[in-house]
Amino acid sequence: MKIILANGSPKVGDSASRIFLAYLKDYFTDQSRQQPEAVLRDEERKILEAEFHAAHIPEGTMEELKSADALIFACPLYVDGLPGHLLSCLMQMESLLRNPQWQNPGLRIYGIVNCGFYEGIQAQYALELLRNWCARTGLAWCGGIGIGGGGGISMMPAVEGGHGPRAPVEKALAEMTDTVLQQKIQENKYVSVAFPRFLYKLAAQAGWRQSIRANGGKVRDLGKRPEE
Amino acid sequence: MKLIITDLENFNIAVEGEYKLINPHGEVHPCIGCFGCWVRTPGKCVIRDGYEGTGIEMGKCSELIFISKCCYGGLSPFIKTVQDRAISYIHPDFVLRKGEMHHKRRYQNIISLSAYFYGENITEQEKETARNILEANADNYDGTVKTVCFYQTAEELEDIRL
Repeated sequence: MKIILANGSPKVGDSASRIFLAYLKDYFTDQSRQQPEAVLRDEERKILEAEFHAAHIPEGTMEELKSADALIFACPLYVDGLPGHLLSCLMQMESLLRNPQWQNPGLRIYGIVNCGFYEGIQAQYALELLRNWCARTGLAWCGGIGIGGGGGISMMPAVEGGHGPRAPVEKALAEMTDTVLQQKIQENKYVSVAFPRFLYKLAAQAGWRQSIRANGGKVRDLGKRPEE
Repeated sequence: MKLIITDLENFNIAVEGEYKLINPHGEVHPCIGCFGCWVRTPGKCVIRDGYEGTGIEMGKCSELIFISKCCYGGLSPFIKTVQDRAISYIHPDFVLRKGEMHHKRRYQNIISLSAYFYGENITEQEKETARNILEANADNYDGTVKTVCFYQTAEELEDIRL
């Protein structure tokens, strides 16, 4: 089974999308964490990464997609939808996928959209855009995850044993791993970090204050209204 | 003032009253997720490519009008990229609105949103997504939705009056 993990964050370095795809990669390669019926032998599994950081399809991706079984997009929510650069890549892919040379009817598409807002449900329309893209390209939409509180995930400690603030997200990602390996479809799932919303809000706002000071500004500058 | 953001390079649509047009005039650089528009140059995007001031223009408008090719139920990449680059319209702090977390207002203007989508064979699912996204945008901007409509071609839009 060949799985392509597509990082749709514009950030080349650290990002929540990279963290979530790293989880998936760990789950795909750690047989002890998978449901028995989903376990594959090492030689049957190939996990590739594609970096969709700019407004063009990463080199070699289309060639790999021809023989892939699953393509999993992970990206941040940008103004209730997909980031513009990723949308541009999807349109280029749609155009190429009209050519029989690039078609792969067995390819299954999954999506992970994370948002800085607390409620994962706010990612639902971005997942709908991916579903609608699949309908246009003739690919199989197999479901996704909307993750709330993604903006704070890198600062939250990883706790073993299904505990800690990341636990609901890890659980949803683990379930998606099984769904992918069993070549199944899942309903979209919406999760939030296990961290009280009011504290998440306070922590985020403290972070903005710290950032503007670190950039030489004052806290009141956060509310500036430039004229031009 | 009406703020019109479109992917049409040749804009031939009648507009009543004062308006500002943002359409393709050179390459638009995608948002890089740096949040510089909130913490380095508050209110303005840090990428200087001619599209950095959209958030400021949004702060001056009463109507925001998208005229876009319908892409899977959303805006086209050009317009979406311009929109992504304009999150400086809102303040980084959070508020709860309709039971959900959204951003606080930076400006006091109430924006009325409209979208005129064009494209062949726009599906019912895409139309539903488009309407939902515009409603969600209105919630995020703390504004309202005026109209969402669909046309087969961009040429058909030349008969409308904004």
